[in-house]
Amino acid sequence: MSSPISPHSRRPEGLSRRAVVAGGVAAVGLAALPPRAQAEDLQPLAELIARITEGAVPKRGKITLDIPQLVENGNSVDVKITVESPMTEADHVRWIHLIADKNPFPDMARFHLGPRCGRAEVATTLRLAASQKVTAVAALSTGGYVVADGDVVVTLSACIDGG
Amino acid sequence: MPFNARITMPAEARAGDIIEIRVLTRHPMDRGGQSDGKGGTVPRMILNRLTATYSGEQVFRLDMNTGISANPFVSFTTRAVASGDIVFEWREDGGATYTRTARLVVT
Repeated sequence: MSSPISPHSRRPEGLSRRAVVAGGVAAVGLAALPPRAQAEDLQPLAELIARITEGAVPKRGKITLDIPQLVENGNSVDVKITVESPMTEADHVRWIHLIADKNPFPDMARFHLGPRCGRAEVATTLRLAASQKVTAVAALSTGGYVVADGDVVVTLSACIDGG
Repeated sequence: MPFNARITMPAEARAGDIIEIRVLTRHPMDRGGQSDGKGGTVPRMILNRLTATYSGEQVFRLDMNTGISANPFVSFTTRAVASGDIVFEWREDGGATYTRTARLVVT
């Protein structure tokens, strides 16, 4: 007797519905793994910081990173960095470096400042590829480094193809 | 090339005052790598540097990478020392430069 179902609509050989379902479950399991497992090629944040500070461990405090905790659109995220510094010839901020460790290019920007800035206070707009920790490292003319960071949740990430 | 800059700062200041300068630039800041729909990829084309020169000295410089958004906004401060032009210069991938000036009168 002939089947009422056209042979064209048969399941492809070797890929049963059960296999598809099982594969899907496995894929979901993979996606639920911590991000480390997926992105082995990302450099750890400590390494990124050590590279720009030439190995020195930056101190906390004296620097404020103002960034929203939740952003809808990663294509433009307002950030403001303030460093407590007298900004004199002897004691000023040399530069402020911004790092996003989950961006394809983690080094986002570097602000070069000097005593003629008067205040160490800068702001800009960033592009974030994923929810992550944004870090600001400032180099002081007295030789030390200071660091501040902020966790940001990004609802719509930048770096989607075509976006 | 669509480039346009809006510089917001006070027109005059007292000597020694710290003024805030806000710069909003119109630029696509193409990070590169997207498909161009014809089998290739879009090349990177961003403004990679902004410098501000005031009374004979560079007072501010921003090195930008792809992590800076399209139509970037930047704000910074400087101490008013003498009447004169503040010269802003952007450098684009490929070597093009754009220059704008803003006049500050110091009393």
